[in-house]
Amino acid sequence: MAADQLTNTNAEASSSKHSIYEGSTQYRHWRFSQEELARKRSSLNAAAVSVVRDAFEADEPGSSSDVSFLNADEECLLVKLYVGKISQICGLFRFPEEVEATAMSYVKRFYLKNTVMDWHPKNVMLTALFLATKTTNNPIPVESYTSRIPKTKPEDVLELEFLVAQSLGFDFAVWHAHRALWGQYLDVQTVPGVTRDEARRAHQAALVHVRASRFTDAEFIFAPSQIAFACMSLAAPQVAASWARLRFPQTADTLLSTTEPIKEMVLAQGSSPDVEAVRNVDRRLKLCKNPEKVVGSRAYVKKQEEAERRAEEKRRRKAAKVRKAMEEGDPFGSELAGNGGIEDDDDDD
Amino acid sequence: MDAVEKANTDRQKRWAKDQKIGEGTYAVVYRGREIATGRKVAIKKIKVGQFKDGLDMSAIREVKYLRELKHANVIELLDVFSTKQNLNLVLEFLDTDLELVIRDRSLVFLPTDIKSWMAMTFRGLEFCHRNFILHRDLKPNNLLIAANGQLKLADFGLARDFADPGYKMTCQVITRWYRPPELLFGCRYYSTAVDIWSVGCIFAELMLRTPYLPGETDMDQLKTIFRALGTPTEEEWPGHTKLPDYVPLGNFPKTPLRDLFSAASPECISLLTKCLIYEPRRRISARDALKHPYFMTGAYPTHPSKLPKPASKASSNLPLEELDGNAEPNGNGPGVKANAPNKLKRKLSSDDVNGGSRSIARKLDFTQHRQP
Repeated sequence: MAADQLTNTNAEASSSKHSIYEGSTQYRHWRFSQEELARKRSSLNAAAVSVVRDAFEADEPGSSSDVSFLNADEECLLVKLYVGKISQICGLFRFPEEVEATAMSYVKRFYLKNTVMDWHPKNVMLTALFLATKTTNNPIPVESYTSRIPKTKPEDVLELEFLVAQSLGFDFAVWHAHRALWGQYLDVQTVPGVTRDEARRAHQAALVHVRASRFTDAEFIFAPSQIAFACMSLAAPQVAASWARLRFPQTADTLLSTTEPIKEMVLAQGSSPDVEAVRNVDRRLKLCKNPEKVVGSRAYVKKQEEAERRAEEKRRRKAAKVRKAMEEGDPFGSELAGNGGIEDDDDDD
Repeated sequence: MDAVEKANTDRQKRWAKDQKIGEGTYAVVYRGREIATGRKVAIKKIKVGQFKDGLDMSAIREVKYLRELKHANVIELLDVFSTKQNLNLVLEFLDTDLELVIRDRSLVFLPTDIKSWMAMTFRGLEFCHRNFILHRDLKPNNLLIAANGQLKLADFGLARDFADPGYKMTCQVITRWYRPPELLFGCRYYSTAVDIWSVGCIFAELMLRTPYLPGETDMDQLKTIFRALGTPTEEEWPGHTKLPDYVPLGNFPKTPLRDLFSAASPECISLLTKCLIYEPRRRISARDALKHPYFMTGAYPTHPSKLPKPASKASSNLPLEELDGNAEPNGNGPGVKANAPNKLKRKLSSDDVNGGSRSIARKLDFTQHRQP
């Protein structure tokens, strides 16, 4: 009991000791240094290559030797292309910006946990977007969603929903730079000497940069407000500087200098990648994707059979247990009272 | 095995399901424990496969907000994992809820007990509001109570972020008896004040030991409110006659709250009055409520561990009420609809508690114990 109370009061992000942002899952689970991010991706890629290589070998010994696997940068490039596609689809449906930005974050987060060699970003992107409509409170029925996307069936979207949610660690809430920018825009209007029209133009121009920032890793490294401020100072350096000096007289200069790396990142990486380069990656991906994930392939069938065999064995074990209980005179078995364990003992679903 | 799948399996292995304690069309609830420590937990298994639009909105809302909120007065979501096509929410185990406490006639409440429950409710709510989250279903049986007496806001299946000004929200939220007049008049732009009204109703219920404003229909709910608090005037609540579903309901006189709550202190009456102000913008905020003289004067609130608790546990196997019906069925727009008003029911009679047919809307019930 005492231990319970202790863990309760020590809950990670308790009320007033932290800013709201520091209590968020975004801050706690999805913020990295640039180096961490690079390390994470390269080790994920190395692990994926070795798994896929093994799958090739298991399927047919020697078959992996002439496969050219994707490296981490190539994976990123492909993901980036599909992050860009989200805008197009959102335009088609006229989804609010919240949906678009959230879906983009989901796809980027997904590929910090998964490889494109297992799950192609085209499918993941469609599922992430569908999930984002729901998590941002803009749900539409799955049929109306898929009916307007060529060659896509409801199953294609729903099949991956669980995997995507799981990969996100069920952290559905995302704090966005465009929201922070909106707040700054409202506040900029109170700066003496900045006309309302100037403020509006600064916001419009900054928003273009914020949208570009979604192609970059900025959201994994910086706070939304930092990104927003960097974009504001890219768009209207004078306005941004006078706002900073008014709001944070002590620290304005530090603030202005810390946004430099964000500005560079947005300018250098804030656009959809060259389609030709990606096409080449995608072509190679066809040859190096995990055969166990390709529906109908030999390796896929083999894995399915293995899973089915294990499930069958579990059912047999359970049936035997029930039979034994029956013989001992208790028709309902004793599993509830006893050993419990983690086994998900009801196959009723 | 994929890394993600493996991480899920590892998480799953931390928890054991012991005993089914409730079942509905939406979810099955188990009592369970953390294997390493033996800590008691509740595991809510949501059946996902059956929804044609995938993960259902209530589950998404609940997970989304509880992942972000960590506070002594908000139920803690300890973990989320999946088994096959089911979503499992591991929640802290809570013994009872405020409704069962209120209905237990053998318990006597001291004014300081009520002060304590109110303080904990406002603290939890202030934290939600500070995080830009509206609860939208506050009522006594969504205020769960831990073994140590701590009260916790639960059931975030109808919660949402504040909308931007000018963005419509559904008015079909909050169980009727706790629903504020602006929602009953069809107001689609509202704020944290809706939750405050609910807290006001709960406050009154704690003193009366019976629901304060038990309307039979939405229309009757408005009449019930006006009978108790007087029909609002244009001066009191500017613009209310322009609300979408406004109907004139006759002129009920104002009776001072003091007449009904004769034993309450002036500070207590003052805070209750401020929670039940018609004009939503003038209704007190959770933050200001915490600084209200009610909490600053007179006797201290009772320590949570000393609060009255039901001695005997209710024993009926209570079904979980259906949790669906939140998504807009035709999807013609971004709006989300809550349960139809007739589904947001709560039984009137306290006999129902004993009769075992008490309807519990989207709430975990942890009170049933397996007979040895």
